[in-house]
Amino acid sequence: MANLKSLKAKKFFPMLSERQGRFDSAKAELPQFGDNAMALAKALHPKRQYLKIAEVIERSEDCRSYTLVPDPDRGTTALAYFGAGKYLTVFETIEDMPVTRAYSISSSPKDSLEGRYVLTIKLVDGGLMSKFIFDTWTVGRDVEVSAPSGNFEYQPLRDAKKVVCLAGGSGITPFVSMANAIADGDEDFELTLLYGSRDAKNILFKEELDALQEKCDKIKVVHVLSNQKGRCPKEMEKGFITAELIRKYAPADEEYSIFLCGPQQMYAFVDKELEKLNLEKKYIRHEMFGEFHNPGTQEDYPADVPETVKITVTIQDKTYIVRGKSEDSVMQTLEKNGISVPARCRSGECGFCHSHLISGKVYVPAALEYRRLADYKFGCIHPCCSFPLTDLEINVPVAK
Amino acid sequence: MKQYDVIVIGAGNGGLAAAATCAKAGLSTLLLERHNIPGGSASSFVRGRFEFEPSLHELAGIETHKEMFERFGSEVDWYTHDSTFRLVVPAKEGDEGAFVNENGVLVTMDARMPVGFQNFAKKLEEIVPGSYDSCMAAFDLSERMFKIFDNLETPQKLVGSLKDFPDILRMVSHTMNEGLDALGMPKKAQDIFNTYWCYLGSPGSKLDFLYYLAMLHSYVKNGTGIPHLRSHEMSLAIDDSIRRNGGDVWYNSEVTKVIMNDGKPAAVVINGEKTVYGKYFICNSSPNSVWADLFDKKDIPAKQLKMLNARKIACTLTTVYLGMNKTKEELGITDYSVFIAPDTDSDKQYEAAQNYFSGYCIINCLNEIIPDCTPEGTSQLFLTTMTFGDVMKDIKPQDYKKFKTKVAQDMIETCEKALNISIKPYIEEIEIALPPTFARYLNTPLGTPYGYMLEKWDSMIPRTAQYMQDQPFDNFFFCGATQERGDGYGCAYYTGEKAGGIVVKKVKGGK
Repeated sequence: MANLKSLKAKKFFPMLSERQGRFDSAKAELPQFGDNAMALAKALHPKRQYLKIAEVIERSEDCRSYTLVPDPDRGTTALAYFGAGKYLTVFETIEDMPVTRAYSISSSPKDSLEGRYVLTIKLVDGGLMSKFIFDTWTVGRDVEVSAPSGNFEYQPLRDAKKVVCLAGGSGITPFVSMANAIADGDEDFELTLLYGSRDAKNILFKEELDALQEKCDKIKVVHVLSNQKGRCPKEMEKGFITAELIRKYAPADEEYSIFLCGPQQMYAFVDKELEKLNLEKKYIRHEMFGEFHNPGTQEDYPADVPETVKITVTIQDKTYIVRGKSEDSVMQTLEKNGISVPARCRSGECGFCHSHLISGKVYVPAALEYRRLADYKFGCIHPCCSFPLTDLEINVPVAK
Repeated sequence: MKQYDVIVIGAGNGGLAAAATCAKAGLSTLLLERHNIPGGSASSFVRGRFEFEPSLHELAGIETHKEMFERFGSEVDWYTHDSTFRLVVPAKEGDEGAFVNENGVLVTMDARMPVGFQNFAKKLEEIVPGSYDSCMAAFDLSERMFKIFDNLETPQKLVGSLKDFPDILRMVSHTMNEGLDALGMPKKAQDIFNTYWCYLGSPGSKLDFLYYLAMLHSYVKNGTGIPHLRSHEMSLAIDDSIRRNGGDVWYNSEVTKVIMNDGKPAAVVINGEKTVYGKYFICNSSPNSVWADLFDKKDIPAKQLKMLNARKIACTLTTVYLGMNKTKEELGITDYSVFIAPDTDSDKQYEAAQNYFSGYCIINCLNEIIPDCTPEGTSQLFLTTMTFGDVMKDIKPQDYKKFKTKVAQDMIETCEKALNISIKPYIEEIEIALPPTFARYLNTPLGTPYGYMLEKWDSMIPRTAQYMQDQPFDNFFFCGATQERGDGYGCAYYTGEKAGGIVVKKVKGGK
């Protein structure tokens, strides 16, 4: 049988000295080589972006757009580029309480190359952050945001060439960005937007959408008015976004994708309508609707949950004991007690707040259940969408 | 002021195993990780109704891994698999030996290789007559080699002991190609035999024969395994072991500086604000980023910088994760792991991989091993290709998304063609990871998950033999893919356990 005898065994020991010899003769300095993979990673996913407000635009009596530009004095010289549909998490401190919120970027990706993001924010009834923003965000103010995040984007290998976008109220923002990206040639799909507003007065981005439709034949906008008094303006629809209405505007003999972005209540209604269309699951995509409220209204919410609970939380080497309401998420309770928690999407999806539940029970609404399978096995939770059912003991990563 | 016995930097596979080893031995242990979950590459992510496996193809030598998890007192639900790989090389024009395979595709090569030395050699003989003896001779060498290694307890003893085993010395100091030539294996059989070269990232003319053979051996001998709940299950299981044994695990806690005292590390600064002291340090991060970002220039031992310059950054990967709205049967997928290559020869594959996209693509279907890893009526695939060097160099941030999609499309179409199946119409979820994605999550140069290129002079045995003299301080030890065994889960676990063992011994004073 053949064997290795033709190979020299004696080569081994010189090889060991060769190795140290190669090290000895190399340069004693940090290596310099082109590394665009790392450069791209840093450019697209900065840890934080330090911005300034350059302009405030009144869109309606309860909606404003804020133009944000880089603040080189605090270390941000350029904005991270993004795919249309992504959001930024805004970091604020309100009365010593760290608060974060995710807002879709309404400006085009191209604008970010010129140093401009636009966030469009609606004043929410009883909304802590939106009220704070309306009160304090003026031209020149500092703003701190995350890198662009989220998965609500057009993907040509997955989505149909034609997309029917369903927007409600301020849920229009990612679609404005997508429409701009199409007009700029950065995205390539046909977008039909069914945009639900209360009445003609409350339509956001009316002129901008008109102009985009005018400029680009891949974009079509249909306004759907739910509470319009009197006659509905020409070319607008009255009522809600129903299966029938979608059928009217969707391509009749071609596959199409549905993209959905709006408030929690809209999803409940539209999802039922979508069932009638019998679309494949791959053709229906939802943007997250933001923070979940009133878990008690859910059908599977258990009975006899105490009104308040005690939460013992360990972050690195510090342990805090706080009390909170069971109707508040674990994250909200911690923040209300001045404890910073890592937070991005606040809807369960991004997993950034991934934490260990040491003891106690939580309720997680089914729509926000994005945990990994092993998380159940090892008792891990996402505090942003976990509602305490008992006293809890948890281990949470530090916010950074 | 609290001083930990050991601070472990980075909760990749190496860091996890190191921290678990130290905590179990009763050392006060702190594991620091910049991300919010453990594992580095060993993790998972959710898109829609799919949870994807980000990096693990399979664990070879599954028994060794089961034993490690048992040592840590951790439970992992294992799924095992009893085939190795299928290699498909689509025919090029004018290819004389081309034939139509079971998928109806004209190919130069189609080899589906089983588990078991004899089975493997028989199959090879079937495809390439006259290769059985050389294949069995190779496995006989690896069997003898493992017996010798099993009796070696410490790397210090390694070199001295090797003197008595000339065949091992021959294998270590010659390449895969030279070794198989010496055994008289026909070239075509060598090409099949060498299929897994990409798992170590170094082709037949560069990698030593011993290490490749050791790896192939561990796949062929007993088959492979993977955890039921993606790699996240293994990483959380070790995290759990560390905590149960009194260790601390802090996430979102990035080491931003190492503080020196008396010429050696004494503390780390976390997120630029919090200082924690330690007696010993085990580091799972890439030496390139450690020396560039964590140390003052004056404190870096010159040899460490020289090592960075003498070595070549290993390969980078691109992976496309696909959630399919059809079952594997509906898609016509029959194998867990198919290697589709533009050429049969590993060196030609390596040359092609200096650019995007070389036509080299591994397609895996997780449902082959874990039938319930996706909801009923669906399946998940992942496609992997590798590249070498700064392949992203001309890509601007605004071009990146289009480039990503283009690469993914090329990879998908390559698989569709090579297997004569249809993938594109059934994609329900897709995620694409390119080198920048890995650079972001792993913080390694060029985004490599593989460390430094394993070459004959800098392969497993030389690295193992010189491990202690390559470490920067007598209280600071590296572990992970950049160390003795290069990339791979098992290799990283091994280096972590070993570094942990060194520290345990030092803390306990040899007791």
